[in-house]
Amino acid sequence: MKVAGVCLAIIVALALQTTVAPFLFSGQYGSVDLVLVVVVYAALQFGPAVGLLTGALAGMAQDTLSGGIIGVGGLSKTIVGFLVGVIGSQFIVAHALPRFVVLLASAAIHAVCFLGLYAVIEKQKLVISWRVTGTQILTTAVIGIILIQLIHAIPGILMRRRLRRGY
Amino acid sequence: MLDIHRRTGYLLLTVLLVQVLLISLQINTSSGTKLFQATVFGVFSQLQLGASKVFGGVRGVWDGYFDLRNVKQENDRLKDQVSQLELQLQLQQALARRGAELEQMLQLRQTTSLKTLAASVIAGDATGYFKTVTIDRGSSNGLQHDMAVISSRGVVGRIVETPSIATAKVQLLIDRSTGAGGIIERSGVGGFVQGTAVGDPPLRMDYVTNLADVKVGDRVVTSGIEGMYPQGFLIGHVETVTQGAGLHKEIRIRPVVDFRALQSVLVVLDRPTPATASPTKAPSTTASPAPTPPAAAPPVTTPPATGTPGAGPPASASPTAGSPAAAAPRTGGQR
Repeated sequence: MKVAGVCLAIIVALALQTTVAPFLFSGQYGSVDLVLVVVVYAALQFGPAVGLLTGALAGMAQDTLSGGIIGVGGLSKTIVGFLVGVIGSQFIVAHALPRFVVLLASAAIHAVCFLGLYAVIEKQKLVISWRVTGTQILTTAVIGIILIQLIHAIPGILMRRRLRRGY
Repeated sequence: MLDIHRRTGYLLLTVLLVQVLLISLQINTSSGTKLFQATVFGVFSQLQLGASKVFGGVRGVWDGYFDLRNVKQENDRLKDQVSQLELQLQLQQALARRGAELEQMLQLRQTTSLKTLAASVIAGDATGYFKTVTIDRGSSNGLQHDMAVISSRGVVGRIVETPSIATAKVQLLIDRSTGAGGIIERSGVGGFVQGTAVGDPPLRMDYVTNLADVKVGDRVVTSGIEGMYPQGFLIGHVETVTQGAGLHKEIRIRPVVDFRALQSVLVVLDRPTPATASPTKAPSTTASPAPTPPAAAPPVTTPPATGTPGAGPPASASPTAGSPAAAAPRTGGQR
């Protein structure tokens, strides 16, 4: 059930990432990485093992669709999934602010790993446009925290509605 | 899930190792599209098509209903615009007639129109770091690898990888691992236009000597030297020009195509004849084919895919001003 849920979340994130996100967060000022949000969420919920596996699977799927080198995104997301899983199991990351900080750090680590790996592979100097990358990291963190908070709030909202109907 | 929590460290190492091996395998691959990539792209593109249709439907409702609010004012404004454009059209038609007469007088060849196919953009890039889009036309529509993609404003990019039956992936010109031969229209100076993906402006022109005549605002058009893009199509305008530290200028180009709002494109089904290396002054055009060069052009061989992603043009590819012969973009699905 957990595996199916994670896989479904990755597929939905990829579909949204490629169809909706380009129209909403398009252009030279960066984009949003919804797949990374799924990886962070899975790692926070289920720990480092699930986090790294989700990261590997989601990253490789993303690599395949983008036409880039398969494994670069996977490697970056594996590292992020593992680190977030470790942080989630060692510290209390239950409130919005810590989650936002984790998302922000995850997006930053992912960007550095991803661009760094490509710089190594291409044997070129690492060129990062701080404005574009910064915007992308911030957008991912903001959208991510909204989505995660929404997912956590939905069961409570449904419960309250049921209780109101009961009375 | 699985009993893997106690062995997370080993699991991490295994997963990382597998992916490093996978990356290594791909770097060593010499050319061609990978079967795995083609299969996954083919399958997932169907999902993208479905999602795009759903999203398109929602957008259609939004556009068709909620955006009707200011239609009256917009209609009046558009009517005024149409009147002005009709006037301009008459002037242009008169100029065109005069041009045609002059062309006949000079016994030049007639302009041949390109065979194109309209396509809609159904999906963007999965990572946000690359600049690719997916279009709703594929191999069943006659699309092939390396076909040029244009829009009404100018050059968009090229088809990368083997298209699936119903969809194809287009690598945008602003992607950092693609490029096209370009010419400064005013002075005829040639060079290699390359994407920077995350830069602003997102295009640069390489291999233009410091002695070349390039000014801010100059129009940059395709040279067609690589045999992929039709000659004379507008790429963009020069935004900054600085003297480089070495032999070449540092030129940044603002593309005319708004890649953020790309919805409809045209795929050029004809393979254009490679242009000559001589720096002819390219015709002024906006998504209209350039006249065929008078002289028969020798075929230009594009270099095979190196398999090294994003590798820059070969060291030998440093055309001097007005000689963009070596500025051929890399081919193949590999970045």
